[in-house]
Amino acid sequence: MKKLLSLVLAMLMMASLAACGGDSGSSTGGGGASSGGGSDSSGGSDSGTIKIGYISDLTGATSLWGQAGLDGAMLAVEDVNAAGGVLGRQIEVVGMDGKGEPADSVSALRKLIEDNGIVASIGTNFSSCNIPMASVADEMKVPILGTATSNELVTIDESGNLHPYSFRMCFIDSFLGTAAGTYAATTKGYKTAALLTVAGNTNSEGVGQFTAEAFEANGGTLVANEQCQESDTDFRAQMSNIAGKNPDVLFIIMNDYSKIALAAQQAREMGLTCQFMGHDGWDSGELASAANGALEGSCFLSRIGFNSEAGKAMSERYQEVYPNKGLETEILFGYDGVMWVVDAINRAGSADPVAVRDALEATEVFEGLIGTLVMDPATHNPSMDCAIFECENGAFQFKEVIKASDLVG
Amino acid sequence: MFLQQLVTGVSVGGIYALLATGYSLIYSLLDFSNWAHGEVAMIGAYTALVVSSTLGLPFFLAVVVGIAGAALFSYLNERVAYRRIRHNNSPNMFLMIAAMGLSTVYQQAANLIFTGKYQMYDFRLPVSTIQIGNTYLGILDMVSLVITAVILIGLIYLINKTQFGLNVRAIASNSYAARVLGVQVDKSIASVFLLAGGLAGVAGVLYGMKYNVFPTMGNVGLKAFIASVIGGLGSVPGAIVGAVLLGIIETLCTAYINSSLRDFFSFALLIVLLLVKPSGLFGVDVQDKA
Repeated sequence: MKKLLSLVLAMLMMASLAACGGDSGSSTGGGGASSGGGSDSSGGSDSGTIKIGYISDLTGATSLWGQAGLDGAMLAVEDVNAAGGVLGRQIEVVGMDGKGEPADSVSALRKLIEDNGIVASIGTNFSSCNIPMASVADEMKVPILGTATSNELVTIDESGNLHPYSFRMCFIDSFLGTAAGTYAATTKGYKTAALLTVAGNTNSEGVGQFTAEAFEANGGTLVANEQCQESDTDFRAQMSNIAGKNPDVLFIIMNDYSKIALAAQQAREMGLTCQFMGHDGWDSGELASAANGALEGSCFLSRIGFNSEAGKAMSERYQEVYPNKGLETEILFGYDGVMWVVDAINRAGSADPVAVRDALEATEVFEGLIGTLVMDPATHNPSMDCAIFECENGAFQFKEVIKASDLVG
Repeated sequence: MFLQQLVTGVSVGGIYALLATGYSLIYSLLDFSNWAHGEVAMIGAYTALVVSSTLGLPFFLAVVVGIAGAALFSYLNERVAYRRIRHNNSPNMFLMIAAMGLSTVYQQAANLIFTGKYQMYDFRLPVSTIQIGNTYLGILDMVSLVITAVILIGLIYLINKTQFGLNVRAIASNSYAARVLGVQVDKSIASVFLLAGGLAGVAGVLYGMKYNVFPTMGNVGLKAFIASVIGGLGSVPGAIVGAVLLGIIETLCTAYINSSLRDFFSFALLIVLLLVKPSGLFGVDVQDKA
């Protein structure tokens, strides 16, 4: 019996050791890939390659985005090094697999800082990962740039204090809501609006609240404020109420394209003739056809994506380099992340992470593929250009860019 | 406005009714709540979807195959799981637990096969309505209400006016006596499962046309169950009335109170009814509402 117990314990120990070993060697995917040559000097020193980290899910279920971001970062490295590097040094991006999990992402960040001596790290694309990573970045004094991380807690902790080393490159819920409400009241000239949000969904309720506030702040009146449940598929009771108020526009702030399509169809069934507006939760290629004509003329606000001139050029280049891969916005985030860090290094005149952080915070305007980014040093939340997409002939088409400066100015 | 909400409530209740009658039929025979009934509707909806989109069958035929698929699975549930439990003389609770297991298995299987994505039929009625005064009637709503009404009238006729219905009522009243008097109990029960499955299949396809097809769509079965309890478990007309009543209550609650409180009111009504009138609106005296 004792022998058996010893054997089991020994096996358990070996298994746990093996697991630890596997974890420490998790620099997969593009890990260590470099397009610059040169020595292994750390980013903070005066010579050799400057290293920038990239953390995302590189191997798991959402690695589609992670790999796309890493690809974008690599293309930026090519461009920077071809143009002579920064401060006379070549740059290198080190990819590290955070598996889309908070614990793994934190480990990846520590490893990149301790073992690779990065000056800054780009990613992840998950708020859930960047929230714990922000504390580590503060502690180790290396800036991180979240990509599609829209939760407020990514840059500001629960007590309302800024994470000095945590930045983000996407707009947050409040910005998009404000932009939608302002656009509806000013550009579209709607006077009355109704709102449908999902009860208990922080994104829907948050964006909805800011949309309504901005709409009213710009002279509009909110005539109906309805909510549905996450699992609902029938919205006709709410739509009847809204139809009774006859608004100029109905904001449908939901994140599931099939539910948005159902809501729009049922609104038409209940006699609503107004236009519908939405946020980036509408950003799906299948929405218009799912709505079966009910969304004709409606519009939503979202990222510009590949619709700008620079974005189009990148999409052509990307498809040439990676003919078998699809286009993901994360490509642009990866590319812009590297470019923003390089811009900060240039302005700081140093590759020291603390100096780079100061320069990132001092960014007034950064012109990237994702559009123009205006940094708020108090919150690290950027204001950004966003795009209007309008449904014409059964498909959403890119309509125009709304400049961030117009919205925050 | 109020009239519009009533119309919407009846339309929501119509789908509940098709499922609720299935619950009631099976409860009346076997004294247990068939929790897998909602998933049978889901299977019907997916069968029609697969048949129409991959085999390219005309939608009408796909619907027929979908209904047949639901009926088949309902029959198999009885043949493979429930009959064995009954013949073992196990407590009725075992039937309910088996049904819960089947419900989970079907839902998870659908998730694995089709993913959680909402899917729609290629065949779609145009988004249009008929306006009568201030009240709007959706085309699909009217079509589904007519189909539901015809089927339910047929069902009531079948139960009350045919030999098959007599057999079913005899078993429901006293299965031992029915057997002694020559009723083929197992065969009749299997037929009821086929019938209830077919009704669930119709409900599944109509629900899918209205709200898309997705793995958890069978959860609507819970509402149908509440409806059948309100109406009186075991009573087919009761299930219909309970379903329409529940549809109206839910719609009015969403419209005039708050959608967050909708389920609160539905379940509160259920609890109050169980306390005050356990037999439901139309039901006979019921001892065990497992």
